[in-house]
Amino acid sequence: MSTPLIVQAKIYASAEQAQKILFPNKSFSKTPILITEDLQEKMRSASSIRHPFQGDRIWRATDGSWFIIDEVVGKHEMISYAVGINPQGNITGIEILEYVESYGYEVGDAQWRKQFIGKNVNDPIKLNQDIQNIGGATLSCKHITDGVKRVVLLYEITLKTPSLAARPK
Amino acid sequence: MKRCKPLLGTYVEISIQQENSDEAISLAFAAIEKVQSLMSFHDQQSELSKINHEAHLRTIAIDPWTCQIIRIAQDIHQHSGGLFNCGIGHRLVEAKLLPGNIDRAHHEFGGIEDLQFVSQECVISSLPLCLDLGGIAKGFAVDMAVNTLKCNGIHSGSVNAGGDIRIFGNEAQTIHIRNPKVPSNVIEIGSLMNGAIATSGLYFSNRDQQQSYIINPLASKDVDAHQVFSESFSIVANECVYADALTKVLILSKQQNHPCFKLYQAQAIQIAA
Repeated sequence: MSTPLIVQAKIYASAEQAQKILFPNKSFSKTPILITEDLQEKMRSASSIRHPFQGDRIWRATDGSWFIIDEVVGKHEMISYAVGINPQGNITGIEILEYVESYGYEVGDAQWRKQFIGKNVNDPIKLNQDIQNIGGATLSCKHITDGVKRVVLLYEITLKTPSLAARPK
Repeated sequence: MKRCKPLLGTYVEISIQQENSDEAISLAFAAIEKVQSLMSFHDQQSELSKINHEAHLRTIAIDPWTCQIIRIAQDIHQHSGGLFNCGIGHRLVEAKLLPGNIDRAHHEFGGIEDLQFVSQECVISSLPLCLDLGGIAKGFAVDMAVNTLKCNGIHSGSVNAGGDIRIFGNEAQTIHIRNPKVPSNVIEIGSLMNGAIATSGLYFSNRDQQQSYIINPLASKDVDAHQVFSESFSIVANECVYADALTKVLILSKQQNHPCFKLYQAQAIQIAA
């Protein structure tokens, strides 16, 4: 089998950096949520994203703002992103953390994905780093749109009601 | 530093040399969000939707940015002999590439040329319109983001909206374009300084088995309107709005030296598949 050909592997921001971008001067504490099978299923049907949502990358500020990290995996790309939600339940911003586009290998493969997990901006992936400006036909961001749908649903079902959400580590 | 956000239906990356310039980058993203909220076909509240729904009934006051893009679109329409025309939204709706319902029986839609300025920032149309700015707004948004960065003390960098790129400042940057035959491969085409490049290709749309979204505005029948091709067409220009719009003129004219490229100081690049 040939070596997987990675077109782009870009790291834009760490979780902490994205938090500062979306909520300057606000401090958050990690608030993991147990994602039940029932909730997982609801998020799946709301977003048509099949891989499970991980509930351990959720943070809450004392004023009721939320900062949530999720990732979407397409056939050829894997994108992790952060969503900011204000106390009124509105999305305040979306920031892409990592974008990996690959061909010749299924990015859905968990083993393959592992090599990117835990990397940060100061530790760039050593592939095609010199390829910065890629022009071409427009690539749709539909996967992110779907991903945000499930994050919004998570907020509506679980995070909005403090009694359910107050489940610190 | 480098940041990326999902905007304009694609991924928009802003990359600058200076560190600790989060605020300037945030303002540049806000400029792109403003373009999106003014010019989105999907958003019923956008100025574009207002023009489409009401401009044939009454005069509409619009934002200076919307005025600017309409004037540019009309200018390119004129100099391309009608090959560039934003009045193709109904074709995309009929092909289900854009949302909405079109009542063709009751409407004969006009084009961008039917929109008249009654004052500096007020327009009215002689015919019902179904304009789609998809062929020009991305480039315009890139330019607005670059202007915002410059106004906020950023000397050099780049903005890339899903493949439409503008490089600014005194540093040349290498540009790669996807190979239309194998989009996972990129071709180095040279370096660019203080300029823009936009590319149109159908390889992603073909991969996803979608109908072509490149419409020939001069086609009289629906079946002839959707342009199908496998090559990729790029335009290098000073500003991204022209690069973006002129790729359509290149695709439809198949003329590397179409007279309007000279007028806009643009160069065509065609990559065979």
